[in-house]
Amino acid sequence: MKLLFLAVAVLIVFIVVYGSPITQEKPLRAHYFGSPEVILPMNFAHNDHTPVNCIDCHHNYTDDTGDDLCMHCHVSNNEVWPLLETQFHDFCRGCHTEKSALGEDGGPPRQCMACHLGDDLP
Amino acid sequence: MPHYSESASNNHREADLRALIVIIGSVFVAPLAGWPLHAGGWYWDIGNGIGFAAFGGLLYLMISSNRQFDVTAHKVLGYLVLALTLSHVFWFLLGDAATIEYMKFGAPDYMWLGLVSLLLLFVLLTIALPPERTRVHRQYSDFKYWHRFVAIATIACAAYHIVISGFYLNGWTQALLFIAIATATCLERDRWARLVGPRLPTPVVFVAVSAFAAVAFAAARNLGS
Repeated sequence: MKLLFLAVAVLIVFIVVYGSPITQEKPLRAHYFGSPEVILPMNFAHNDHTPVNCIDCHHNYTDDTGDDLCMHCHVSNNEVWPLLETQFHDFCRGCHTEKSALGEDGGPPRQCMACHLGDDLP
Repeated sequence: MPHYSESASNNHREADLRALIVIIGSVFVAPLAGWPLHAGGWYWDIGNGIGFAAFGGLLYLMISSNRQFDVTAHKVLGYLVLALTLSHVFWFLLGDAATIEYMKFGAPDYMWLGLVSLLLLFVLLTIALPPERTRVHRQYSDFKYWHRFVAIATIACAAYHIVISGFYLNGWTQALLFIAIATATCLERDRWARLVGPRLPTPVVFVAVSAFAAVAFAAARNLGS
């Protein structure tokens, strides 16, 4: 049992340090968008979201809270920066589950990696 | 000292299987209670279904140990609960590279508590076996008291991990239902124990019921939503 515990602990540390040996792609934490701390990359496929009203996400178009990219404000504003993970998780997952509940084509919330890779999607 | 029962009637076997299904099934009631069901994708839902089955196995061991029982079978099922828990952990760590973030400093407390419950499971199994058991506990009654105490702590940490993460228990009614079921098994195990016969299920039956529950859970969410 002690050997098993040791093996599990070593394996977890190995995966945390070097990443999963199975998955090909791994997210790289960095100072994206000028974030004060390293964060995971995020992708958002605009082409897949054309049926969604722009203002549902780009609230700054109407509420006069800035005219820069969403992320620039969300990582630089001291009030919203600490809420980055919660806000975006709740917002993205919430919309997907809501559409799924209504029987609309929203697609399910997916594996973490489906969103947390570099923004190479159009 | 524990009583090693030799009885193995068909009635008892049926009772054991029924109890296992009821207790593991009860864990899935709360996450399936919210309607309509929200799919998380097959990969996520099967991985977490395994986690829920491991939690159900832990509750089953808690209940079945409240009466005369087969100590060897209890030990084997303990190993299987650990195996299910490790499967749940490595399913995500190996298959979804982003979940590694939950193992790093700064991860949410509900993920740390999940890791603590895994650690406590190792402690439970290690201290329960000789020579460590006799080294730590001179009296058998001391061992029983602390074994149960650590088991309740393990269940509490795992329940916190499940409830506060909010991945499957979205509303407070679902969370309350889940907590009520877990608490009832810990505090009212005398009543639940009447369901359980003296012979615990075989490892094959336990794994089959757990695997079926995990896959059925994922199917209900992904095909039903």
